[in-house]
Amino acid sequence: MKQNSVRLALLFLTTGLVILFLINISVGSVSIPLMEVIKALFTNTGTNADILWQFRLPKAITCVLAGSALATGGLLMQTLFRNPMAGPDVLGLTSGSSLFVATLLMAGRYGSSIGNLVQNPWSVAFAASLGGAMVFIIIISIARYVRDNTSLLIVGLMISAATSSIVSVLQFTSQADDLQTFMIWMLGSVGSTNWYELTVLGIVISIGFVISISLIKSLNGILLGESYALNLAINIRRTRILIVITTGMMVGVVTAFCGPIAFVGLAVPHLVRLLLPTSNHKTLLPAVMLGGAMLLLICDVIAQLPGRTQVLPLNAITSLIGAPVVIWMVIKAKRISV
Amino acid sequence: MSDSATIALQTTNLEVGYKKNNQNHVLFEPLSLALNQGELVCFMGSNGIGKTTLIKTLAGIQPPIAGKVTRNYSTAIVLTDKISGSLMTVRDLVTYGRYPHLNWWLKLNDEDRQLIENAIRKVHLESIADKQLSQLSDGQLQMAMIAKALAQDANILLLDEPTAHLDLNNRVEIMNLLRLLARETNKTILVATHELDLALQTADKIWLATQDKKIVTGIPEDLVLDGTFDTVFQLKGFDLKTGKISHAPYRKTLVQVEGSGPEYLWTKNALERNGYELEADAPTIIRILTLSDKINWELTHNNINTKFNSLAELLRALRN
Repeated sequence: MKQNSVRLALLFLTTGLVILFLINISVGSVSIPLMEVIKALFTNTGTNADILWQFRLPKAITCVLAGSALATGGLLMQTLFRNPMAGPDVLGLTSGSSLFVATLLMAGRYGSSIGNLVQNPWSVAFAASLGGAMVFIIIISIARYVRDNTSLLIVGLMISAATSSIVSVLQFTSQADDLQTFMIWMLGSVGSTNWYELTVLGIVISIGFVISISLIKSLNGILLGESYALNLAINIRRTRILIVITTGMMVGVVTAFCGPIAFVGLAVPHLVRLLLPTSNHKTLLPAVMLGGAMLLLICDVIAQLPGRTQVLPLNAITSLIGAPVVIWMVIKAKRISV
Repeated sequence: MSDSATIALQTTNLEVGYKKNNQNHVLFEPLSLALNQGELVCFMGSNGIGKTTLIKTLAGIQPPIAGKVTRNYSTAIVLTDKISGSLMTVRDLVTYGRYPHLNWWLKLNDEDRQLIENAIRKVHLESIADKQLSQLSDGQLQMAMIAKALAQDANILLLDEPTAHLDLNNRVEIMNLLRLLARETNKTILVATHELDLALQTADKIWLATQDKKIVTGIPEDLVLDGTFDTVFQLKGFDLKTGKISHAPYRKTLVQVEGSGPEYLWTKNALERNGYELEADAPTIIRILTLSDKINWELTHNNINTKFNSLAELLRALRN
């Protein structure tokens, strides 16, 4: 791709993100006109300012962080496995995080020290990241033996199913109010993060972004396969470990605070490649970060059902958008690649 | 090639292979081989004998089981591995050649750009430099891979079956390019290939993997004449010494052909293919007449002269 068209596309995505962000914070059960939004942001007084600072801004920022983190995780996984069907939810990373979060939630009942841990966003984030990374390691070890796309996908689905069933067992033994908390969490939500959790989310995801960007050269190298990469002095082993840690961390922390959000990680890299047909991560990575944030902002706007008081579960919307993308990918499978 | 040729790559008691169930599978007897600078070496041997493994070990991307490889220069490779990233353009792929010299942000300087464009020009892909790899033919893709290796600006090129699955034209083009690179830029080139005829006509030296796990080396002609090729390939119906498929004459007619140049060679080919035996003073005579770009064949049989415009007509007449 020519350098200029890349710049133009990235500019287009950035502008889109800003516009979507403003739309996102202006819609909800109470609609706030755009001018009011901007005024409230700066004056910081009145009901509108309260709504914005306490609810809408944390939610919109969560959308941006979570969307770009999941999409980045998806891109890293698709590149690592050189498989277009890879993604954090398809290959069971989010289920792994769910399992660890569920374990922590339910275990909180049995000891006050663990109970304190549950209250601490850092420990929840850590548990979720650990869960995601562990599933990732399992998938990587199995991926050595299964080379084709479909098999890896089936393995991922199986691991998802297995971890989900352990979560079900935990649910069965838990008490009603825990169960409700957990069920709501499972539906996915970006609206329940407070500023402290948002800080944790922001720090962890920023670290993830910095590592991902530092890996641009290695990620490109992986596309050529291990032998070529080694000949080009690229350290594949180190890259693989860093991808596991980064993806596990980013997907884990998002899952911990927003629940298992489906399809964003899988779909965004493909949607971005439609706009920017390139396999150079120097272009793809920032574009995917912007695209992921945009997609989750859109999904959240739709979930708000503007003008009404009900809110749809976020996962329902991401799936509604994601499922057709996957079907389209399978149909065009011959032309889809990493 | 002068006798004072400098060694570019050398192996000392090298054992290559792989580990399986904690056991080493060594593919060849300990190898002590050398590649000289500016030399085009064709590495031949039957499928699965371990050519790829040796090439990867020479390139340093697979550890040897024992012994060592000494590389006096940097090494670039072209393998048969499938690459991902079909949205990648030819130029993107060639840019990979500069990766060992680039920082994490992949910033190219003028020298890098120069080397990339030169490499693309060398393989004649300028017109499709911005095309995506998925739109290339097999031959073009292979050329792009070679360009990537050239952009690495390495003195040693190791290629694993670069001509596999290509048509004759592309095979010849690639071998010619490699020969040119060895001559002009003094690169050391090792090519694993199955193309016996091409290897015999282009290689400075042949490495021949034998069934008893050795690698015999020598210039092509020596290996042909001492029968090494015959024992390795156990050729069926291909006469290596004449470079042709051997035909046993099955017709009784002896013919003599008068003529020269390619017309003579192809007339001979047509006759032998159809079971005639050529002899210097046979009663049946075929004269090749070339007059102003037009070729005619005059057949003298039982003192009757007949003229033909094509070999097909001549063969039809001979049969009757």
